[in-house]
Order: sequence, then C-alpha cells, then structure tokens
Amino acid sequence: MKKPRAIILRGTATNCDIETFNSFKYVGAQPELVHINQLLAGEKKVLDYDLMAFPGGFSYGDDISAGKIYAVKMARLSKDFKKFIKGRRPVIGICNGFQILVKTGFLPENRANAQLSTLYTNDCGHFIAKWTRLKVNRRSPCIFTKGLPDEIELPIAHGEGKFIVEDREVLSAITAGDLHALTYAENPNGSMLDIAGICSRSGTCFGLMPHPERNFFSWQNPGRSGAVRGAEAAGFQFFKNAVDYVR
Amino acid sequence: MNELAEFNSLNPKQLEALDKAAGWSLNAAELAEVQRQFRKTDRQPTRGELETIAQTWSEHCKHKTFSGPVAYRDGPRTKKYKNLFKETIVKATKTLNRSWCLSVFKDNAGIVEFGKDGKWGLAFKAETHNHPCAVEPYGGAETGVGGVIRDILGVGLGAKPVLNTDTLCFGRLDRKYRLPKNALGPERVMRGVVEGVRDYGNRIGIPTAAGGIYFDDGYLLNPLVYVGCAGLIPVDKIKKSVVPGDLIVSIGGRTGRDGIHGATFSSANIEEETGSSAVQIGHAVNEKKALDVLMRARDLGLYNAVTDCGAGGFSSAIGELGSETGARVRLEKALLKDTRIEPWEIWVSESQERMILSVPKSKLKRLAALLGAENCEYCVLGEFPGDGRLLVTHGDALVVDVPMAFLHGGVPNLEKPAVKRSVKVSGKTPVAPKDFGKALEALLAHPNVCSRHSIITQYDHEVQGGTVGKPLQGRFGDGPGDAAVIWPQTATLDLKDYSGFAVGHGFAPAVGRLDPYQMALHSIDEAVRNLLAAGADVSRVAILDNFCAASPRDPEVMGDLVQAAEGCLDAALAYGAPFISGKDSFYNQSRDADGKEYPIPLSLLISATAPVEDVRRTVTINFKEAGNPVYLAGVSLRGMGGSVYNELADTGNNAVAGLDMKAAVKLYAALARAMKAGCVAAAHDVSQGGLAVTLAEMAFSGGLGAELDLSAAVREKGLTVTELLFGESPARLVLEVTKERETEFLKIVKGLPAAEIGYVKEEPELSAAEGGGQLFSACIEKLKTCWKKELI
Repeated sequence: MKKPRAIILRGTATNCDIETFNSFKYVGAQPELVHINQLLAGEKKVLDYDLMAFPGGFSYGDDISAGKIYAVKMARLSKDFKKFIKGRRPVIGICNGFQILVKTGFLPENRANAQLSTLYTNDCGHFIAKWTRLKVNRRSPCIFTKGLPDEIELPIAHGEGKFIVEDREVLSAITAGDLHALTYAENPNGSMLDIAGICSRSGTCFGLMPHPERNFFSWQNPGRSGAVRGAEAAGFQFFKNAVDYVR
Repeated sequence: MNELAEFNSLNPKQLEALDKAAGWSLNAAELAEVQRQFRKTDRQPTRGELETIAQTWSEHCKHKTFSGPVAYRDGPRTKKYKNLFKETIVKATKTLNRSWCLSVFKDNAGIVEFGKDGKWGLAFKAETHNHPCAVEPYGGAETGVGGVIRDILGVGLGAKPVLNTDTLCFGRLDRKYRLPKNALGPERVMRGVVEGVRDYGNRIGIPTAAGGIYFDDGYLLNPLVYVGCAGLIPVDKIKKSVVPGDLIVSIGGRTGRDGIHGATFSSANIEEETGSSAVQIGHAVNEKKALDVLMRARDLGLYNAVTDCGAGGFSSAIGELGSETGARVRLEKALLKDTRIEPWEIWVSESQERMILSVPKSKLKRLAALLGAENCEYCVLGEFPGDGRLLVTHGDALVVDVPMAFLHGGVPNLEKPAVKRSVKVSGKTPVAPKDFGKALEALLAHPNVCSRHSIITQYDHEVQGGTVGKPLQGRFGDGPGDAAVIWPQTATLDLKDYSGFAVGHGFAPAVGRLDPYQMALHSIDEAVRNLLAAGADVSRVAILDNFCAASPRDPEVMGDLVQAAEGCLDAALAYGAPFISGKDSFYNQSRDADGKEYPIPLSLLISATAPVEDVRRTVTINFKEAGNPVYLAGVSLRGMGGSVYNELADTGNNAVAGLDMKAAVKLYAALARAMKAGCVAAAHDVSQGGLAVTLAEMAFSGGLGAELDLSAAVREKGLTVTELLFGESPARLVLEVTKERETEFLKIVKGLPAAEIGYVKEEPELSAAEGGGQLFSACIEKLKTCWKKELI
C-alpha cells in the first residue's frame, strides 16, 4: 500500500518537529519536514500531501502571542490550507500547533476563518510541564481519538494553554457538536470547560495542548514499572488513527 | 586612555592602575610580560592587542590557577605540582586509557562512544556562570544555558543537543541576612536564575531534566550556576581542521556592547561597584536558528571547522580556530546590533548566539542559501590565511597584529602556596533525637531535601520525547528521580534503537568543609550510584569535574583544592571512570555590609554519564508492588559529618565516613547484573537526609507503605540508630526486589553487603523497627506533605 504523505510544518523554533516526524514514520506514514519559508517560496505545496501536522515548540519565540507570527505567515497560503482542511485531509496541531490553528481561525471552525478563541497565559502565570489525566469524549467526531479508553495520560508543556472564547455561542456549538474531544481531569491552566483539545465538525482537523508524541511508548510514562511492558501507549493511537483514516 | 601611547615605558604602579581602569584583571607578572614582548617589537601595543591578551590569558580562558604550579604543605611535608590539573584530573584519564573515550579535554566538550553500532558519539560538557548570575540572575542564567549549548554545537563539527542539566546553589531562603548595597537577596537570585534557565531551555527545545538545587549560607553573595549540556554527534564528524584559504563566517546573533569583559570579570572577586554591563543578553530563538542550520550544514559537509563564541567573543573563537593558520579579520564586516561600538569592542564583545565556521570558498553559496531558508543571519569576517599571523583591522585602522604564538604561549604562571586546613573532628557517639518520626519529618522539609517540583515543572523536561528516566517519577509523577535517562530519538531518528544514556550528579560541599579529599570520593561515588539506580552500565562511566572555589590567593582555599583534586584522581581510578572534560571557577568570594567575608565552600560538582543499553529497562525509585522485599545494599558507616541532620540538630559528631571504593565497585557490579536480570523493581540511592529519607521517598512516590526491621542492615561496629537512619555514609542503595526473582537476586549478591530489611505493603504507612523496638511509624501522606514544599 502507498504510504500516506505527511507534511510536518516547521519554522523558526518549532521544537517538536523531529519527534512528531518519528511518530508519523512509525505508524506507516511518509513524513517530510517542511519549513514555512519553503511553502512561501513555492518550493513545496501543501496540497501535495495527505496529512498535516503542526508540531509543538515556540514558533518565532512566541512573540506577540503564541503561534501568532506563524499564523500570519500562513495567511498568504490560506487558500491551500482551507482546501486541505475542507477536503477532510487530517490535520493535527499539537501545543504550539494548536495555538497556530486557533490564531489562524481554523479552530474553532467557522466559515470566515475568524479567530474566535485564544489560548491564553496559564492561570498560574508561567510555563508548566507535567503529566495530566485526560478524559476522552467518546461521542466526539474527532478521528484522532477513536478507540482510546475513557481516560488517558499525556504530558503538557506550555505557558499559554488556557482555552477561552468570548462568545458563549461558540462554546455551546463546541459542546453541542462534541467537538471538545479531550478535557482535563484536573484543569492545569484554567481552560473553559476543562478543554484540552477541540476538533472541526468533520473531526479531521484537531488541535490539542497535551503532547501525544511524548506518551507514544509505555516507557515514556513516569509511573511505569521497572520491567518492560507492552510497547505502544495512548499517544500512538492518535497518529495511527490519522494514517488509518487516510488509507 | 593616553597611557596606551606610552605603555612600554610605564612603571609597575602605572601598569596596575591602567589594568584596573581597563578591567583586564592581569597581575603584575603578566603585565610585565606583555610589556617585555612589546618592547621587543619596538612599538606600542594597541588597545585591541591588550584586550586580546587580557582575554586569552584570563582565568576563564586559561584556567591558570588549576593548571598552574602549586606547593602544597601538609604539616611538615610539602608536595610540589608543576600543573595540578594535569597531575590529577588528566592523569586519571591517561592512566585509564579507555578505548570508548573518543575526545577528551581538547575540544569544547568531551566525547564518548554511544549506542551499539559505533556510529555515534555522546558529547558532554558542564560549566558555570556564577559571576553573571550574582549581578543579573535572569540574564546570567539564560546566557549560561545558551553558552554551554553552544559548546555542544561547537564540538567536533557540531553535536545535536538532547539534554540540559542545571545545578544551582543559593543562600538560604529561610534566613535573615544583612546584605551589602547592590547585592540581591537569595530569593530574588533564585527566581531570576530559575526563570532564565526555564525561558532559554524551553524556547530552544532542549529538555532540562537533570541537576539539583542546594542551599547554604556560603552561596549568599556568590550563587553558583552550573549548566550542562549533552548531545549526539556522528563519529565521522568529530574531527575538524581549518584549511588555509577558508573563510571566517559568523552565524547567528549580531555583535553589540553587551558582555564586554565577561572573561576578565570572572577572574576577580565581585565588588560592590561591579555593574551588570559585563553580562550578555540572551536570545534563545537566534540560537535555535543557528542550531537548525548547523545540523543541516554539517550533514551536507559545508564547513571544515566550527567553534562557539564564548568568553572573549571573536577574539578567542577566531584565535582558537586560527591558532595554527593565523587569521585575517575585517571587523567592519561584522553585523552589529549597536553602531556606537569601538572596533576593539567588536573584537572582544561576548554577544550571544554566535558560532564561527571555517568555510571553503566553494561552499559559501550553498551555506548562504541554507542560512537564508532558516532566517539565520551571517557575515563573512575574513579568512584563515595560513601564515600564522593574527591581523585584525577595521577599515584602515589596525586593531591587532601579532603572531598567534604570542597569544597562546608565554603566560607567566607563579607558584601558588597551598596549605592543609586544620579541622576539628569529633567521633563521639551522636546525640539521638527524642522522636525519630519527628526527625524524619523535619529532614524531609529541609530545603536541601524537600521536593523541587515547583521548579522542575517550569522546565520543559520532556521536549524531544526522549526523557525516559524523569526528574519527577512514580505513580503520581512527583517522586525525585536519581538520574535522567535520555533516549535520543531526535538524533538517531530510529524508534527501534533503544540505546540511551543516563546522567547523574554528585555534590557534597558540606562534606568538603570537613574533608575535601573525602568530598571528592563521596561525590564521584554518589554520581555513579545515581547512574546505577537508573539502571545504567556503571562499568562505563565518564565524568566531568566542575570546581568552584573562593579566592585562590588564600592558601587554605588552594589546600582544599589540592586535596579534592587528589580525591578525584583516586576515585576516578578506583571506579574506572575517566574525566572527559571539566571547568573551574575561582574568586567566588564577597563581603557583606559589615565587611564580613563570604567565601563559598569548595564546591565540586561531578556530572557523570553512562550508557543505558535498553531504555525500556530503566529503573525508577518508587515502590511498585506490595509483598516485594526491600533490601539495603552497602555498609552503613559511622559518622554524622556533613549530614543534613547535623544541621538540624547538632549531634556532637562530625566525623566523615571514609569510603571503601573497592568494595563499592564490587557491589555495584553485582547490583547492575541483578538489574539487568530484571530482579530489581525499584532503586534509590541513600544521600542527603540518609536512609530514612530514601525509604520515605520510595514509599510515597509509589503510594505504598513498607514494614521494615533494620536489624539485618550491614554496618560498621558501634553504629548507632541515629547514624543508621540519618547518617549519610556513601555507597548505599535501597532496592525493591521482585518477589519472584528474589532467589536469583540473592545468588547474584552472595557474599556482598546486601540485607533484607523488610517488605513493601499496601497500607500507606512506613514503619521501622530495630530488634523488636519500634523506631517510628508514619503515614506516607503525612511524610509527603512535609516533603512537598513549594520552593518557588
């Protein structure tokens, strides 16, 4: 079978690109690291790929606000990105990638691609890196979280992860459509409705603050036993689902 | 500075005044040597030349104290060293002559073999950024982190950084001090440093996953900030050599007036008027751009050599790369961030995030395209001509014109006197606490024992997805790990290669106050033990030494250094663990408002690394399963000297336990076999706070209790219960052994000091008895509450 081509988008200070690349490769995709400058220069084309990932990091130093500069750089290519998402090709934005999807207005999904929400500075006022328990919304259309148990563990690592929306209707639309695919069991940052990740109505475009690539194998978990246990962990499923969906 | 025009005829007093005004920190003999050299050339030196010499000969760059001659007096005996560093640290490495050491002492970091197929090297380096952090904690910490990362980027043809380490020492937060004018309080310093480490490490995407925090009055005015970095490099990229005709290309940050005289600044005690302009300004994102470009350019073979701009800036980086070929530099080509800058300042500025590459002319175009694609700035500063001459100009103005040989030879080095400090040691029976349970609670809450979670969780310790052995581990993700285990998947790009490495530390300044020789032994032992506890291969440990000391003009400070260096030599040989790199920092001494001197205690940080054959088998500290037996491995020795308990309640005994290294090595080898065989479910070293603290941490990290009877614990004759529970004698570990494998375990440790002291139980209670008498029984939740303090 042909391997789905995955574009792993990077820019200055995209830090989690290589582990995201490795994760996609492991589940059978053919990933490629592409700098936003290569897209802007026309060397590479978004629509040549089957899958897209926005990895974590501090793109452009999180200047202005997290993900903002990257989002601005994408604006010139928004037609291609829109087409990609509308065509239901899977897109995942992890941490800084989620921040980018929010700043571009791709999430929460809306016709005008207006920015309807933000990921604001954590309530504690600083960066937090720790493991969190997450509730999986089994009713969600999200294609990435299919087949996961009711509760999973993933680490978070962010300074700006507090999901907030101004308009209550936007929030109701999220809950009504079960677009909040992941919520925190213990809210670490002050997010509305404990939201950790949301998806588009089709479930193919998904953004989340926790890092599935960091709980890809069981030995990445801090609580595992000394002996070797079964290999793949919850994070693996996110990537596997994306590849299975394309196939 | 008019004196410059007549430099060659100045008298010693005038030279001294000039040195002070210029901030060079050169001593009388060095100034006289410079004068002698220029008198020979029949011309006056330029400011740029004097600055270059001051930088190159500075304590920071030359380490003239440690690698100089010393006369050590111990009672009636005197021992002479021509080069203390070579006769101790380097001697250990040379004697051991390990084949897996790929590069030691000569490059920006040491390199050892990594992985199973001989394709990779692991580069490891630690240094300090103490003086900058004392005056500007945030900026000092940021640039410290940035600097050591550049050492890894600049080793060989560049290694990919996969781990940052930070060991920090501050004054006590819970004491009232009278601070001198301009000095920052310890809490302010700590917050600034932690935020600096956080913001730089997180932004550049390297996990900060190992290190420690240590509080002591001695660090009030001189905080210590040890920063370390480890990276992976393909073995065929370790060799670098500048080819005559290559271009000198600077990539990354621009040059400004920040960090002028950083190197010479570290060669003096901090005075009240020391300003923060000597501290550089960090910009992690610029360094990330340089990192991304370098890794790609390295694999494409676009340059012949690389090094980082650290202390001394262009002058030392270009001076180092061109030490054989010479260098022709045109400073007007430098990209600047401040136009009001003198040519000599461009030459010595320590502006951050700059790397110097030696680039063949034919490859510049491809390199430039790559730099452009990553938005990384660069400038071509000149070339390496091959004539051995250092010629630096700015337009028509001459900045430096000297033979390279002059810079790199001829530092006059005077013999320093060293003397053994006398210490009153009492070996009398320690006074026991009234209540062992209460004493344990107080120990767990002590600043040098309590949880560091509020700091660790501000560092992204899991970026790159390879932190398998975590700083916070256990069932609730908050137990204190002994060593970081890194699985460098972002360098190898192979998720089916389970090779990893562990990094652990040893640090025992409190022991050093009593016995600097034993301090070195204990520190190396602790570092090795930490690696062992994580399941690393301790037959292949490589170590770094980082000495920090007060003023070397004090013979007792030098005496401590000599003893510790001798300890390093003996311990490295005994453990078969070569030093692969190291650094030292002196003049960590200041006065407070009342004129009281605050010298730091001699502080030796040992950073150690060892391979982990299969990261999936990494061992963690938390108890795993009720019913499993608990073993104490190692002999508990007498002496409360240097213990945390002695600080809480003076026991009247300050004897330091003498380490039996041979026995320790034998024991560790057996325990490593037991771990490899899967007999060990959890392991944790006995260190600060002693055995009781170790047991408590294992229990509450696993959410399980334990029923213990310490009667069987192997011990020195006459050991008291206080020493057994709270003494910090080295070479001991607590192990949870898998019940099904206990017979196998016992076979492996037969004849060695390892005794069963109880079992893990479901009830959340830690109970310890000895020979029928209950010592304490405590609820693990209560113990955890005492321990889990918010430091920040």
